[in-house]
This record gives sequence, structure tokens and C-alpha cells, in this order.
Amino acid sequence: MNSNKPTAYNNRLGIKGWVYAGRYTFERYLYLGHRVSGLGLIAYMVLHIIETANRMRGVEAWQGLMALFASWPFKIIEYLLFAMAVFHAMNGVRLLVTELGFFLGKPREPVYPYSTSIKRHRPLTFVIMGLAAMIIILGGSSLFFP
Amino acid sequence: MRETRLWSLHILVLPIIAVLLGMHFAVMHYAPVFYGMSVDKAREFSTMIERGKSVTQLVLYILLLAAALYHGLYGLRGIIRELPLTPVLVKVVDAGIITFGLFIFAFGTYVTWWTFSYKIGG
Amino acid sequence: MSDRKTTPREITFQVRRFDPDSDVAPHWGEYKLHVHDGMTVLEALHQLKAEQEPTLAWRSSCRMGVCGSCGMFINDLPQLACQTQVLHLGTDVVTVAPLPNYENVKDLVPDLEPLIEKHAAVKPYIISLDQIEINAPTGEFLQTPEERESISQFTHCIKCGLCLAACPTVATDPLFLGPQALAQAYRYSADNRDCGLHDRLEAIDLFHGPYQCHLAGACSQACPKGVDPAFAIQLLKRTLVLDSIGFGKKKSSVAKIMPLADVVKAIEEFAPPPRTV
Repeated sequence: MNSNKPTAYNNRLGIKGWVYAGRYTFERYLYLGHRVSGLGLIAYMVLHIIETANRMRGVEAWQGLMALFASWPFKIIEYLLFAMAVFHAMNGVRLLVTELGFFLGKPREPVYPYSTSIKRHRPLTFVIMGLAAMIIILGGSSLFFP
Repeated sequence: MRETRLWSLHILVLPIIAVLLGMHFAVMHYAPVFYGMSVDKAREFSTMIERGKSVTQLVLYILLLAAALYHGLYGLRGIIRELPLTPVLVKVVDAGIITFGLFIFAFGTYVTWWTFSYKIGG
Repeated sequence: MSDRKTTPREITFQVRRFDPDSDVAPHWGEYKLHVHDGMTVLEALHQLKAEQEPTLAWRSSCRMGVCGSCGMFINDLPQLACQTQVLHLGTDVVTVAPLPNYENVKDLVPDLEPLIEKHAAVKPYIISLDQIEINAPTGEFLQTPEERESISQFTHCIKCGLCLAACPTVATDPLFLGPQALAQAYRYSADNRDCGLHDRLEAIDLFHGPYQCHLAGACSQACPKGVDPAFAIQLLKRTLVLDSIGFGKKKSSVAKIMPLADVVKAIEEFAPPPRTV
């Protein structure tokens, strides 16, 4: 009977929905940054464990690897990793407190224009992101490019 | 297991990661500030072996390894399982992440143990 | 004489079209319309249908932001067509597409069935342990103004589905309960008359439950009623964490009851004055 039933079109955004933050709030961009930096850090961590195991191949192999890491391209990669780690950690602090329901205010009657928990914790967001930027610029640059 | 317990554990390991990763940074990158030695010296083979002989370092590095791997792989599992997977693939992802985590943990622990038991000059 | 503040402006509407009987994929239709001040996207669609494109399909009902039927993806944000004024969008080209993250039935019509199924899955009703009182009520369950205010905003959900269209997790994960259902799970679990948190665990304490919310905040931005589902989800996380370690809010199995005689007295006390005409 229903063999000619029209088929609906699958309108799910897919991975584009993760990546495209468009006209959504600032926090949506932080969500994307947290995800990308997290993926970068876990990939680096696994590589770091494998790469430091090079010590088992002897002094020359280790020293050669350390000399490679002292070169400019690796310094830049290391700095990017440092920036990712700082961003992930600082945004993680924001998520830690807010995901447990703190800094979001109290539930209230919705009166237009609506106040959302996202807007209410934005001062915290800006302070934390400001600190992250300071650490990345000042701490990182003095650390990797003395 | 209730997802709440898995999620809570990924939060509970954060203080461990924060403190131990901070110490790792202090040793490897801020050596001139905290230990009065250059970064190149801190990364030398002999310095690394000398550091690795401490029981405290052995325990703390294994703890950091476990905490960071749990936090990171819990996050990775979350991202992969948000994709539309078949029930079979869900099991493959969960089992794969656990196996991979255990393997990397075992490997990292072995390397740390190797450093701890390295005989200088032998 | 017209009381409109401005002269009508020509706006180009790009409307996404899809006919399941003849199309494999959607395509865009372009229409021009003179839009006057105060005209909503829904009114514009009605005018387009009447004057230019009689086959255009969408879903709407109340025209005043109450029924939650006319959710659409307008200029790349999920919004209610009846509450969105065309000229307030500030663009000469207005794009109107069906809500993302749902099956598209026809033109601007999404299939909201998954939303309703997820809503039902979290048991969105008061679960009381006092079955005797439920079956043979002797009075009304009491709720203080403070207790009411702690859940009030979450009760305003009109099930329009905009939050699921905005959610990045729903974009890939069809099993994720989503902001609407999770907010309702919190709304009922936090109600002082409810003792059903543990009955809901089977549905919510899963991988596809609240922990796949990463606080992107898009649902709260999209919500047309100020429900702030992201807030409810974070409060639900806290409730679940505290419950899992034995620090959950202890609720009396029997909610306080105002006897029927007192209810009648209260009604008489606050009764309106007698009619004068």
C-alpha cells in the first residue's frame, strides 16, 4: 500500500553542525575551539609517549631527537601546542564550574528580553579568555622564544 | 555503568593533571626558573636518566599518564560516539578506545620503568 | 491613510523548496515582495503563497509565538516565523529554510516526531510515591513561590524544536536526547512534588544524556520563550552527580497537602468581587 510513500529529505547538518558556528554565540566558537584543541592534545600526547620512548634506543638517538626539537619549525609547533593546552585548560575551568551549575545565576521567570545563563556567565568567560590570551602571549613567548 | 560516574571521573582527574602537568612543565620548560639549568641541559640524556631514578618521579609520571589518558580518551570517545554509529560500531569504538588506552598506558609505564631501572655506565 | 511608519521595501526571499514526490534534493526558490514595517516572516510567506507560489508548504497555527509550529531557519538562525519581523533582520535578501537536524517532509515542514519521542522518553510528568493520594486525592499538593520559581522558566517550553535545530550535538547524533527533553527531565526532577529522578535515570543517565551537552549555548540563544535549556541541562548534571555520590536532595515521599476544605476556603477568600452587570 505504502510503496509509493514519499521520502523525506535528511536535513541533519552532520559535522558541519560542529564546525559552523555562524551567527551563534561566542560560546559556540569556544565549544569548537575546545573540541579542536582537545583532539590536537590527545594526538600530541600519544605521539609524545612514542617519541620519548626513543630514549630506549640509546644516547645518540635521544640527543638527535632533542636537537631536532630545538629547531625552529618544531619550536613553532611546540608553541602552538602550548597555546592549545592553555586554551583547553582555561576554557576547561569555565566548563568545569558552569557544567556543575555554578556562575549561571538562578532560575527566574522568563521576562522579555530574556536573560540566559550563557549571557550571565559571560563576564567569567571574558576574564578567563583574557587570562588565557595573556598566558599564551606573555608566558609562551618568553618560554619558547627567549 | 552510569554515565554520570564516567563523566565525574573525567572531572576528578583534572586536579591531578593540573598539578602534575604543571610540574612536568616546570621541569622541562621552566628549568632555568625553577632549577637554574638551561632547557637544553634539562633535556640531556644524562639529566633525564638522573631524574628518572627517583621513585617519586616514577609514581607521579605513571599517575599523570593514567589521569591524562583517561581524560583525553574519554573526550575522544565522546566525539567519536556523537557520530551516527551502528550498535556494532558503538561496541567497536568503546572496546577500541579501552584497548588503545591500556596499550599506551602499558607502553608509557614500561618506558618510565625502563628509565627508573637504567644502569648508568652499564 | 496608512499608519505604517515606513514605505514598503522590496525584499528578496530565498525559500528552500522540496517536494518529496518529485525532488531528490531541495532547491532554492527566489521571490520578491514589498515588505512593510512590522510584517513578520510568516505574514510574508502567506502573501507569497496567495500571490506568487500557491504550492508553498509550511506549518503554522497561532501566529503569536504560543503554539510553536512555525519554527524555521531564517537567515541562518532557528527562529519562529511569526515572531520574526522581516525588516528587523536588516538584510535585503532573507533566506528561509526548514529547521535543520530534522527530516524535511516538504518545503519548510520539518518532521518533529523525534522531538516528541525524546520528550516522552524522559517521563515528563510528576511521579509521586504517594499512590493513595494520587488515586483518591484529599487535597492539593503545596508548592511555595520559591519552589515554583526554581522550575518556572523551564515550564514555558512550547516544544517548537528550535533548540534541537541549533544544537551542534544533535547535528550528528540522532540518539542524543537534546536540549528540550533534558530541560524537561530537570524541570520535573527538580519539582518539589516529584520523586521520579530514579525512574528517569534509565532514560537520561546514558551516553546520549546530559553529558553530550558541551555548553555551546546555541539552544538558549534560539529558545523563543526564555526557557534557557542549556541552564537546565547543567543543573541536571549537578543533580545527577550529587545523586550518584549519595548527596542528592532528599525529598519527602509524601508532598505536603492542603486539605480540600482549605482549598475551598482559599478560593472563596481570593474570589473576584460580585459582577456588577
